Amino acid sequence: MEKKNNPVAEGIISKEEFTQNWLRFLTEFLSGSKGFYILLLLSGLIVLIAAMFGVNAMYVGYSHVYGIYREIPWGILISGYVFFVVTSTGLCIISSIGHVFGVKSLIPIAKRSVYLSVVTLLAGFMVIFFDVENPFRMAIWNALSPNPTSNIWWMGTLYGAYLVFMTIEFLLLLIAKYRYAMVAGLLGLISGVAAHSNLGAVFGMLHGREFWYGPYMPIYFIASAAASGCTAIIFFTYLGYRIRNERFDKPMELALQAVGKLWALLLAVLMFFVTWKVITGFAGAEGKVLAIREWLFGKYAINFWFFEVFLGLVAPFFLLLVSRFRNLNQMFVASLLAFIGIFFMRVDLVVIGQIVSHFFEYKVTDFPVILTYKPTLHEIMLIIGACAFCIFSFLIGEKVFKGHHTEIH
Amino acid sequence: MNWKEFFKNLKTEEEGCVPDETKREFLKIGLIITGVAAGGSLLNVVSVVAEGLATSEELHKEYPYKPHYSMVFRVDRCIDCERCVEACRQTNNVPEYGWRTKILERVDTKAVDQQRQFMPILCNHCNNPPCVRACPTKATYKDKQTGIVKMASYKCIGCKTCMVACPYDARYFNEEKRAIDKCDFCWESRLSKGMKITACAEACPAGVRIFGDLSDPNSEVYKIVHQMGKAVWVLKPETGAKPNVFYTIG
Amino acid sequence: MKRIIILASTLILGLSGLVLSEITEEGVKYQESEEAGGPEIVYTKPVKGVLFSHKLHVKELGLPCESCHTAIFEMEAFKSQRNPDFNMDSLYKGKYCGACHNGQTAFASNTKCATCHVGVKGLERLKKKAQAVEKK
Repeated sequence: MEKKNNPVAEGIISKEEFTQNWLRFLTEFLSGSKGFYILLLLSGLIVLIAAMFGVNAMYVGYSHVYGIYREIPWGILISGYVFFVVTSTGLCIISSIGHVFGVKSLIPIAKRSVYLSVVTLLAGFMVIFFDVENPFRMAIWNALSPNPTSNIWWMGTLYGAYLVFMTIEFLLLLIAKYRYAMVAGLLGLISGVAAHSNLGAVFGMLHGREFWYGPYMPIYFIASAAASGCTAIIFFTYLGYRIRNERFDKPMELALQAVGKLWALLLAVLMFFVTWKVITGFAGAEGKVLAIREWLFGKYAINFWFFEVFLGLVAPFFLLLVSRFRNLNQMFVASLLAFIGIFFMRVDLVVIGQIVSHFFEYKVTDFPVILTYKPTLHEIMLIIGACAFCIFSFLIGEKVFKGHHTEIH
Repeated sequence: MNWKEFFKNLKTEEEGCVPDETKREFLKIGLIITGVAAGGSLLNVVSVVAEGLATSEELHKEYPYKPHYSMVFRVDRCIDCERCVEACRQTNNVPEYGWRTKILERVDTKAVDQQRQFMPILCNHCNNPPCVRACPTKATYKDKQTGIVKMASYKCIGCKTCMVACPYDARYFNEEKRAIDKCDFCWESRLSKGMKITACAEACPAGVRIFGDLSDPNSEVYKIVHQMGKAVWVLKPETGAKPNVFYTIG
Repeated sequence: MKRIIILASTLILGLSGLVLSEITEEGVKYQESEEAGGPEIVYTKPVKGVLFSHKLHVKELGLPCESCHTAIFEMEAFKSQRNPDFNMDSLYKGKYCGACHNGQTAFASNTKCATCHVGVKGLERLKKKAQAVEKK
């Protein structure tokens, strides 16, 4: 196992150091095994195919190839965006416990988490790029004509800042400038949490959508982010070590244990949140009751009970307990199940908020009380492509940064 | 609506339980609560309700827009001839896949006598518009002069947040304009060119659509809305959007 | 002989189906069965989607053909709507439907508008029914 040497000198990185690092990364990348390049090629290919679907969708017009329509304008692409940025924010939150707030036991997972928080955020941006109708106008008018009452504006701006801070933090970690990295990490954490709670508020401040309206959304999003962060850390750290055929060293084992325990706690919190969301929902306005009924007992019942509750919350929770936070194989399986469950949580979150017809109380024949949405191949391919991008970047990261090993100082 | 106005409106909304004083003021002007069968509930016109028979200057203070464009529907007269829909489509180049105004068909087989009613819908040009609050680039905004919720199409990024925010399904994405489109009370096509009435209101043969200035006591809109003992309602008032489009019978 | 009778009756029934369910520029006619006493007629002028139901007036209310034909309405469907005075004002003066729908014999024609005015939606619905029959 190789360890990076810590330069003692502070200050800006010198030109020689910069080129040295780049050359090192390049040589690492070029010295991979056959398996590495095959996996890379495969995932890269999937990204390309997904991009083709995306470009085709832009050319033909989204209304013709996506399942969304006037009454349900947000579909699984929005869910996908939420899924990836939730994971990104979560990775930032959990890793900041270690290297921003100085909890030493979580330091070993920090570098990989910061790297992946950037990767998953970019994946989220890629997905949203193919949902927004005029993506190239975003940068211009978000800057020239900002609306401070718009949660979307705040989220976009803050995630932009967050991306910058997290990238800087990772680069600083690479060249072992730990004190500067801590500052960048703190700024990243603040902007990330602010951005993410605004994403929750995008839904929570819409009084016309009973299923979403209320203070619950921003709060739930942050708790969910933390849980997703733990999921991602266990998932990717385990994979990272397995594909490099490396044994876990003691500090890493302890770090994963700590993350596992934190995750179990957060799962309990989420189960508590979901329970009360459902119970209070039944006492809510009719629009909310209709949505919750459809969610629990209607077309989305399988999504809810099997994917969200069982795969996303209950099974990982019990697997974690069974593993006593020591059996990393079981914890990995828990994280795999949880990822699938969490994706369905995002889908249900976005779709069910829109399925109750605007005019359900008026007994109209023009719309059914409960609307339907079905994702199309284009939308599904874009999600798969974003996942493939994460795998692709993850593989490169593992190789080039030699397993993201960290000195504990 | 700017930042300050947004918070001011929030505060008046927060008073969930309508105080007795406000209720009495409502009743003075004659805006009474209707039954559920009529398809609506209590309405809240503007944040502060003018008292009874105020003079026009006082009224103008309460209605900040001049003219305060508004529309009233007399739904018992609607016969779904859809001339309004066609007129709107032609006047405003509304594509086939979208609509700016629509006629909903309400059917209640349990109803006595008449079991069908037609209900026109369009953008309500709300006084507390959720779409304007939510738009990241101010591509949609409430006009300070007329109160019309307008589109600055060139700024629209197509995020569709306004579509999700609107409680009334009033918005759709127009592929030709590459922006969200919706009813603008024919501002661009007619009102800005000196015409006094929207295409749909002009086309209606049955006198369903009354378009006018809510702040002008001589306008038909004002007269209908401010009438003792007349049932007038708005759609989905619980969303707090304070719609500017009213529904009545007779 | 039997074969001829069967052929002839099928032809007559088939043709009557064709004649009694029709979509033209002037409107839609749709008749489910003989007992209705005549087709459901949806006028399109001066406004689209005004329904006259033979089934309701003849089968359910038991009105004889003479109550309307031919003093108030001619036998030919849509003949009335070709007249320039086929509008609500004429009804209020007692012409056409207004002969009965005056508030005494039947509900006044300036009330319960959506009972007869089924609108564009009603027109399209009956068109589909008529199209289904025409295909047969």
